[in-house]
Amino acid sequence: MKKVMVGNHAVAWGVRLARVEVISAYPITPQTQVVEKLSEMCADGTLAARFIKVESEHSAMAAVIGASATGVRAFTASSSHGLLYMHEMLHWAGGGRLPIVMADINRAVGPGWNIWTDQNDSLSQRDTGWVQLYCETNQEVVDTTIMAFKLAEQLNVPVMLMLDGFYLSHTAEPVDVPDQELVDRFLPRRVAPYKLDVDSPHAFGALVRPDAYMEMRFLQQDALNKVPQALEVIEKDWLRMFGRSYGAVESYRAEDAELLLVTSGTVTSTARAVVDARRGAGEAVGLLKMKMFRPFPTALLRDALRGVPRVAVLDRNVSPGHGGIFAEELRSALYDLPDAERPELFGFVLGLGGRDITPAVIDEVIEKARTGTVPGREDLWVGVNP
Amino acid sequence: MPETITTTDGARAIPEVAMSTTSTLVTRTGSWKYTRPAYHDRVAPCNAGCPVGIDIEGYLNLLREGRVDEARDLLLAENPLPAVTGRVCHHPCENTCNRRTFDGAVAIHAVERAMGDLARQRPAPVLKGKRRTERVAVVGSGPAGLACAYHLARFGYGVTIYESAQEAGGMLRLGIPEYRLPREALDGDIARVVAHGVEIKCGVRIGEHVTWKELTELFSAVCIATGAHTSRALGVPGEQLPGVQPGLVFLRDVNSGKRPDLGRHVVVVGGGNTAMDCARSAMRLGAKVTVAYRRTREQMPAIKEEVDDAMREGAEFVFLANPVEFQEANGRVCALVAERMALGEPDASGRRRPVPTGEHFTIEADTVLTAIGESSALEGFFGDVEGSDSGLQVDALGGTNRDMLYAGGDVTDLARTVADALGAGKRAAIGIDRHLRRHHGDTAELNALRFADGNLSAVRWMGRDPIRRVNPVNAVVGVDDLNFAQYQRVPRHADPHLDSDRARGGFDEVNAGLSTAEAMDEAKRCLNCGVCTQCDVCLIFCPDAAITRAADGSYTIALDYCKGCGLCAAECPRGAITMTQDRP
Repeated sequence: MKKVMVGNHAVAWGVRLARVEVISAYPITPQTQVVEKLSEMCADGTLAARFIKVESEHSAMAAVIGASATGVRAFTASSSHGLLYMHEMLHWAGGGRLPIVMADINRAVGPGWNIWTDQNDSLSQRDTGWVQLYCETNQEVVDTTIMAFKLAEQLNVPVMLMLDGFYLSHTAEPVDVPDQELVDRFLPRRVAPYKLDVDSPHAFGALVRPDAYMEMRFLQQDALNKVPQALEVIEKDWLRMFGRSYGAVESYRAEDAELLLVTSGTVTSTARAVVDARRGAGEAVGLLKMKMFRPFPTALLRDALRGVPRVAVLDRNVSPGHGGIFAEELRSALYDLPDAERPELFGFVLGLGGRDITPAVIDEVIEKARTGTVPGREDLWVGVNP
Repeated sequence: MPETITTTDGARAIPEVAMSTTSTLVTRTGSWKYTRPAYHDRVAPCNAGCPVGIDIEGYLNLLREGRVDEARDLLLAENPLPAVTGRVCHHPCENTCNRRTFDGAVAIHAVERAMGDLARQRPAPVLKGKRRTERVAVVGSGPAGLACAYHLARFGYGVTIYESAQEAGGMLRLGIPEYRLPREALDGDIARVVAHGVEIKCGVRIGEHVTWKELTELFSAVCIATGAHTSRALGVPGEQLPGVQPGLVFLRDVNSGKRPDLGRHVVVVGGGNTAMDCARSAMRLGAKVTVAYRRTREQMPAIKEEVDDAMREGAEFVFLANPVEFQEANGRVCALVAERMALGEPDASGRRRPVPTGEHFTIEADTVLTAIGESSALEGFFGDVEGSDSGLQVDALGGTNRDMLYAGGDVTDLARTVADALGAGKRAAIGIDRHLRRHHGDTAELNALRFADGNLSAVRWMGRDPIRRVNPVNAVVGVDDLNFAQYQRVPRHADPHLDSDRARGGFDEVNAGLSTAEAMDEAKRCLNCGVCTQCDVCLIFCPDAAITRAADGSYTIALDYCKGCGLCAAECPRGAITMTQDRP
């Protein structure tokens, strides 16, 4: 069934089809429509979930942590400062190995106060033990929300999926809504290996001494390391049942490329058009979309970028005092390649606080990367008028 | 698996989440706390606000638990006349009720009335302390005298009440009309006092049949409770005209069964309960009634419900009207001339003072009933007892400056209500008992008998308080100490009233009262302010499961595990848990 819907409603549809049992969320621009749609669905009975009203994002995450600990499927959504307010609880979900799924509608962090998109909110939560998946289209949002639960529950890791604020959250696109019966077959009820159970009482999240803490972290790391391979299997199932797949990373017209753009989120769609134009003009420019940022898909990226002469990373984020975060992590991942196979990597910071990344901006990136002689430790800020 | 460099035994078989494998009792989290909770029962505002000193919260709680006889006994331990007060008390308890701003105060008066009526059908056992040899005389059988005699009898004394009228009851019988207080209710309550062995001698006027001096020689102690029966004069020309009459005299006549002819139009002067009783009684005799009051409705001292009823029954009110003269026609009053007043600055009572405007107007009247206050008649009394026009001066236990002479009720200069009189009678009884037993406790001992700063408790004085209080703190629990999130809104039961036309047609009781079942439901609206009812909220909310419930229902806090988070105190519906800091 095809429907036209905005990205925020695509999230809600994914949650509904996944038959989530507990939702707790606090509204914040640009995420509010997610909460509104879900509360409507709970109210009209199309989603048989308990919607817990709370006074803050910290409590929202605490509520879904409590719910998830009882073995049910739980969901929340937030943005920017709301996500930052959840920070402590994100660690509890990660360390507690609770398969919560949340949507973060990427929004810049104040001050200056800004409701438009960039990735600094979610990237500042990269070390909380959550899987991070950045979506490009509303179809991908619906599909990824459902797949995220399967992934999370398989490995007991929480999953955060990202939508660019407004560019995706408030943009309507046609979406093929998966059939509920098929989704039910794809995603059966959650079976929790550990849960709060009055018949077998245990305390969770209590004191762990130095003789066991490190082992716990080791097991968490092990689980996260298994995510790319697990997602690949899940996507194969999805492809078989629904005819679509996305990949943790996706190469687009990358064959024999002299220059490869690396993107995440909605800018990928713009870059696809630019790449098509360049290829049409006979230029060997390709694209690598990074959907997964955590765990960092190092092996996949090495395979995709090995031997490519030049790589330009488009970062809609910045680590103040360092550089674009995707570029820096990618640079580390490629470090161990032999000299002959290691690309020259150019990092570009752009599109912060919702500034538009137009084809012209991407053309400028391509020119700078193509003609640049010193791949910078310094990052290149595009479109800044100091 | 990520690769590991093994430095110890390697990863052991542990769960991948931090999950307890043994009991968490090994972790004594109590060492973290710097504040600790404790159960402290505090005082409900109704108890502190009751001039009688009734453990209202206590008996409502017993009713909630279905322990009706125990509730009745606790009520009767402090108040001998619940069928009376349930009908005519101005119930200040309800004005202080913490439920007032939530969904309406508990209708305590209605529950008390139902209990009073129930106690008539199912009398409480007569309880008395160890028999004392001394005998005490009480002069006057109004609420103060009855209360004093009743409590003294329960303390073990022989008591004789002297009453100048032909029947006991004082102002309750002579002042309050039957439509507010049916005589069987009054008689039933007085019978309770008599059942305690109190002798009531009617038709005996002290100072006339027996002298005051003789009385003090015959008895070990005397309590004066003669009331205030003299209507204050207006002091305006024409007040002596036929047809101008003190309201109290009129009420005494009506309440004795007379039906005087008042003419067509009656003007009542005043805004207190006596004025309302006059107005409503006159309407029942067929008169058209106008109430003239020199301030406005907001300043009227009468019980609000009495004003409502008078208006409902058709009395006309002229506010800001100050009588300046009565006019005569054919040897009888024919009109009242009044000056229009305006409200000025507040006076000593805190009410805005009426100030003259110079504008005059006339109200026709066949009869004028004056009811602007009463004073005590103290002629023929000991000349050396301290007092003034407002009444005798007494100490905190009703003692006058003369040895073994006590006083209570309207004869003193304290507040003149039925409830205040009952409270004063009890205080005098405790004062007399204390004196005769040569028991001279200190102020702290007396204060321990009080509900916060309210009246004294007789059961506490007798050492027979049946209510088990948990580490009591004698302070009132305010509305901010309660957690209304734990309560549902339940509307207050309204008193059913006789239809106004029917009410005006006779002296049938106007307020029909609640049924026993309705009263029991109303009792359940009590929030039990400050008192643990073992509702388990603390136990449910304690995140450390540090609270346990014993077989008798009481709670224990395992301080080895309580982190001092304060959730129990914050969630307690009734403010019965207090947090204290371990170190300053």
